[in-house]
Amino acid sequence: MTMDNEIKALVAKVIKVPEEKIGLKANLFTDLGVDSLLGVEIFAALDKKYQIDIPENKIGEIKTLQDIIDLVARCRK
Amino acid sequence: MNEDTSAYWRKLLDLNSPLDPKVLKIARTRLVFLRSAFYAVMKWLSDRIAPVETRGAYRENLKPPFILASNHVSILDFPALVIGLPPEIRDQFYAPATRHFYDIPPARFFMKLAANVIRIDREGDFFPSLKTAAQVLRSGSILYIAPEATRSHTGELLPFKVGVGVLAVELGVPIVPAYIRGTDHILGKGRILPKKGKITVIYGQPIDPKPFIEMKKEKQAYDVYQAITEVLRGRIIELSKLPY
Repeated sequence: MTMDNEIKALVAKVIKVPEEKIGLKANLFTDLGVDSLLGVEIFAALDKKYQIDIPENKIGEIKTLQDIIDLVARCRK
Repeated sequence: MNEDTSAYWRKLLDLNSPLDPKVLKIARTRLVFLRSAFYAVMKWLSDRIAPVETRGAYRENLKPPFILASNHVSILDFPALVIGLPPEIRDQFYAPATRHFYDIPPARFFMKLAANVIRIDREGDFFPSLKTAAQVLRSGSILYIAPEATRSHTGELLPFKVGVGVLAVELGVPIVPAYIRGTDHILGKGRILPKKGKITVIYGQPIDPKPFIEMKKEKQAYDVYQAITEVLRGRIIELSKLPY
């Protein structure tokens, strides 16, 4: 499984939405009904899985799955 | 995953750092000496326009720190909630206000007469206000929250935001539910001048966070925050159905 798919599976599990419904560019908050606190849950799960410390001020910038994948890639460098 | 999410939240809320007195100083009002006068005037006006009946506000249920949560239909809600409380409890309240109101100086002046005020940015970064709310509770004071996060136009209870659950569970403080009836008729959303009427404020029994803290061992933390928030919403609905 590529990292992109891993992240997608993790997001799907946290927000309880089937993976196939999460498009790369779909807005998690407006299209998939994620609220900002569930967003924090996603970051907690990413933090655990990849041991990355996501800066708190970046959380507000995340809107889509693609944003999350890009952020994880940047934080892992 | 459960413990980790909780740990992540504790980090976001700065729960492992010592209290920072500066944070609360910003929220605390310098107009506190005018507060008794403000509530005396409010009481005088209220007795003539819209008398407030306060039920169920028992001292044994109102021991700080706790979160007071109510429905929200009017800008009169907060003063109506606390007008019937003893001043020593009333003066320990911190209430959030959106930056749209907080940033208007006359509005801020009146809000700071009524309570200590936490500025929140609903559209932008909400972490600073959550951290301040956590500090309020850690310092042993009282936090007021309207979990609908906005005033309801219809009087129907809107869905609740889960932040109230995060704070109650992570800080281990009870939530006291309250229901306010009548303020929408007197000064609802969009009204400028008050109408005559009657206000009833009903306080419920506190919701103990302990069973939910236990639940965190088995469930995703968000589900636990959501569970206590739903219990709170149910309790406020029950209070709304009590006869006048």
